[in-house]
Amino acid sequence: MHENPRNMTQGQFSFLPPLTDDQIKLQMAYAIKQGWALSVEYTDDPHPRNTYWEMWCQPMFDTKDPAAVMTEVTECRKVYGNMYIRVNAFDNSRWRESVAMSFIVNRPKYEPGLALSRTEGPGRTIQYRVHSYATDKPKGERYK
Amino acid sequence: MATGGAGKKELKGADRYKAGVLEYKVMGYWQPDYVPKDTDVIALFRITPQPGVDADEAAAAVAGESSTATWTVVWTDRLTAAELYRAKAYRVDPVPNAPDQYFAYIAYDMDLFEGDSIANLTASIIGNVFGFKAVKALRLEDMRIPVAYLKTFQGPPTGVMVERERLDKFGRPLLGATTKPKLGLSGRNYGRVVYEALKGGLDFTKDDENINSQPFMHWRDRFLYCMEAVNRASAATAEVKGHYLNVTAGTCEQMIERAEFAKELGSVIIMIDLVLGYSAIQTISKWARRNDMILHLHRAGNSTYSRQKNHGMNFRVICKWMRMAGVDHIHAGTVVGKLEGDPLMVKGFYDTLLQPHTPVAPELGLFFKQEWASLGKCMPVASGGIHLGQMHQLLHYLGEDVILQFGGGTIGHPDGIQAGAEANRVALESMVQARNEGVDYLAKGPEILAKAAKSCKPLQHGLDTWKNITFNYASTDTPDYTPQTTTSR
Amino acid sequence: MTTTPENPTDSFDLEGEFARSNVQAVLDKLDRELIGLRPVKQRIREIAALLLVDKARRSMGLETGAPTLHMSFTGNPGTGKTTVALRMAEILKNLGYVRQGHLVSVTRDDLVGQYIGHTAPKTREVIKKAMGGVLFIDEAYYLYKPENERDYGQEAIEILLQVMENQRDDLVVILAGYANRMEVFFQSNPGFRSRIAHHLDFPDYSDVELFEIAKIMVDAQHYVLTPEAVKVLKEYIPRRMKMPHFANARSMRNAIDRAKLRQANRLFGRKDRTNLTRKDLTTIEAEDLLASRVFQ
Repeated sequence: MHENPRNMTQGQFSFLPPLTDDQIKLQMAYAIKQGWALSVEYTDDPHPRNTYWEMWCQPMFDTKDPAAVMTEVTECRKVYGNMYIRVNAFDNSRWRESVAMSFIVNRPKYEPGLALSRTEGPGRTIQYRVHSYATDKPKGERYK
Repeated sequence: MATGGAGKKELKGADRYKAGVLEYKVMGYWQPDYVPKDTDVIALFRITPQPGVDADEAAAAVAGESSTATWTVVWTDRLTAAELYRAKAYRVDPVPNAPDQYFAYIAYDMDLFEGDSIANLTASIIGNVFGFKAVKALRLEDMRIPVAYLKTFQGPPTGVMVERERLDKFGRPLLGATTKPKLGLSGRNYGRVVYEALKGGLDFTKDDENINSQPFMHWRDRFLYCMEAVNRASAATAEVKGHYLNVTAGTCEQMIERAEFAKELGSVIIMIDLVLGYSAIQTISKWARRNDMILHLHRAGNSTYSRQKNHGMNFRVICKWMRMAGVDHIHAGTVVGKLEGDPLMVKGFYDTLLQPHTPVAPELGLFFKQEWASLGKCMPVASGGIHLGQMHQLLHYLGEDVILQFGGGTIGHPDGIQAGAEANRVALESMVQARNEGVDYLAKGPEILAKAAKSCKPLQHGLDTWKNITFNYASTDTPDYTPQTTTSR
Repeated sequence: MTTTPENPTDSFDLEGEFARSNVQAVLDKLDRELIGLRPVKQRIREIAALLLVDKARRSMGLETGAPTLHMSFTGNPGTGKTTVALRMAEILKNLGYVRQGHLVSVTRDDLVGQYIGHTAPKTREVIKKAMGGVLFIDEAYYLYKPENERDYGQEAIEILLQVMENQRDDLVVILAGYANRMEVFFQSNPGFRSRIAHHLDFPDYSDVELFEIAKIMVDAQHYVLTPEAVKVLKEYIPRRMKMPHFANARSMRNAIDRAKLRQANRLFGRKDRTNLTRKDLTTIEAEDLLASRVFQ
């Protein structure tokens, strides 16, 4: 049977082949044209409810060109090249005031994914716990 | 234009309240000089008067029957501020290209209605009046709800932006599928479809409108198996996933019991059908707000009264009422799928659900300027006969804030359900990518899909299977709009 | 921009490319904005021609690598360096050498922090804002303070040099300031000199040019000089040029601003101020200029 080969598909473009730097810049250019602020974030914990990835830098509110954001991505990859890195675009206009784009621009070489454990309760109910294998290890030793 | 009836003036004082039968016009329900207040509820009806009844009188009759009047004069009117409570027909326009039909504008004082009650509002506006003999047919086309009245309603329990933040999904339409076959699967088999579709790449799966608690699958069984599938898929993809658990039931108590169980199992979303009725919808909406639950509404039953042009009500009014009553998702048309929907009319529905304010736009069927008074946005759902080969059209017509539901288009994939889901996700992501890159994706849609299919076999097989499927039937419900029409009153 | 095209062409329409680029319109605008500056305008034309031919050569596969476009603008204050930089950004955009064409104008204070660790983020922030356009560093020599060996300016210089070398596609840097001080700066920082392709020297304006500049300013603000006032202005200019802190066009703007102030005061002091005419409000008299300290 055909099976989805990926085990971490957060973000807008996770089902496409990894974006090249030029493709990433085109997406950034789109966001800048809409007046959105781009930011770069990284994490070693891909849990779906892990909302707050570490901020690599402040959101770039005044940046006019994708090259500037790409510079930050490149710098971030140098330091955290074996973690997940995503680019977010923030739209501060009224009635949105939220994230407008979010896509992954870097992945660890080996992605162990997430574990599911079950605790059975009364009436056949089950409480589920999803957790990242990576977080079993202390910070700094994950994804080695 | 005021066809006929000229010279018949509104009666005042003692003459007005003499026992007997008067024309509605004469009783004060036709007031061509009335200027609606900002706090008035305004309704626009399409009236087809009985032969021999002039348009003003028909409009006055509708105003009367949907507010204070009865068939004969009653002196007890004089115990009230009757002039205030009377609804006022103030404008009648002929419908372009429909000689026997008229658009009647009727204003209602806000004090005619109880706050935060769709049931009370609709009991007046679409209560007795639709069976009324003076009109051959009657259709409620649009309403203007004043801000002051809107403020008494909760609105969507979650709203589009908070929903996206909870799901952590941005910048693209969401993907869903309805479990098929609609009826007959056991809980165990049903959950299999859910797991495959979610793991394959969809964000949501959905119960169908008529899946409640039948002999082949009782509701608890369905909930338990579906949540096993949702959690397995979430762990497999590191994404938040959901299955719309339909909590529609015979009584409100049963409905709440099912919703509580969904919450206990950790579901992010529940579902109801429009046939629940307005009070039950408001009940579950408030429950959903209290319990951080996204609320999906299937518009089951609406076409019985929304599809025919001369009688019933336009779906955009349902959209307005449901945004007020408070649902997070509502099925609102696909443009290209198997169900009714003219592109402009569908855009009118979508704007009604998503915009903070909508201007007058007759080409979209929006007759009034409507301020939404900070009520949340309601996510439109496109479902019914759409497939991945139409991805460029869907993105173009429906935009980014929409849930695209490919039921058959996922489960019917030749390589299996996961392949179907993956094909849909790849088609969607490649189309969004092309759009953002500035490509003319509407014109080049097929090329973009063909290119994406080179690195995704399931997409190639999906395209081969469905490439020629279209549903090209004329819409029955289209806007009555001639830009040159001169309106008079 | 930097790569050789897959299919080199055999012919290039230089004329058509020039027309499409709208560069002539920018040059015309510059002519209208700035009096004189013949040598500067000539250099700009030459640079535009060079870039256009570069583009043609690249289309035939004759050239690879991004050309160096960093520049230095030297000259006294008020000689039009910022205005020319703005137009240069526009020309570079029209010819496809920068993507956005905006100008970010900074001085040492915008780049250098006061405490350890502050400079690098500040400089990077400025560079990020300027990317896709032109970064204009006025009085660039203040970045380098040899008398203080722990001056943070050095950190900014190193970051700038790196970006000027590695991201020529993304950013054009223009260093500006007095000619003699820039010369000293370049001597002690050879890294800058070697990365700068075009040196533009902005000459001082002649008294005739300054008069023209002042006249354009007066017209633009809807004022009129009386014939006597014209005469006084013509005497004013050579006197002002000899005085300290002379700043070319900027001194003309200041002179006119002060004349406007005196005119307003004069009108306010009039007995019949309840009944001023349009002419009263627009006229600058000789006395409005004669009161200047230049004549004392």
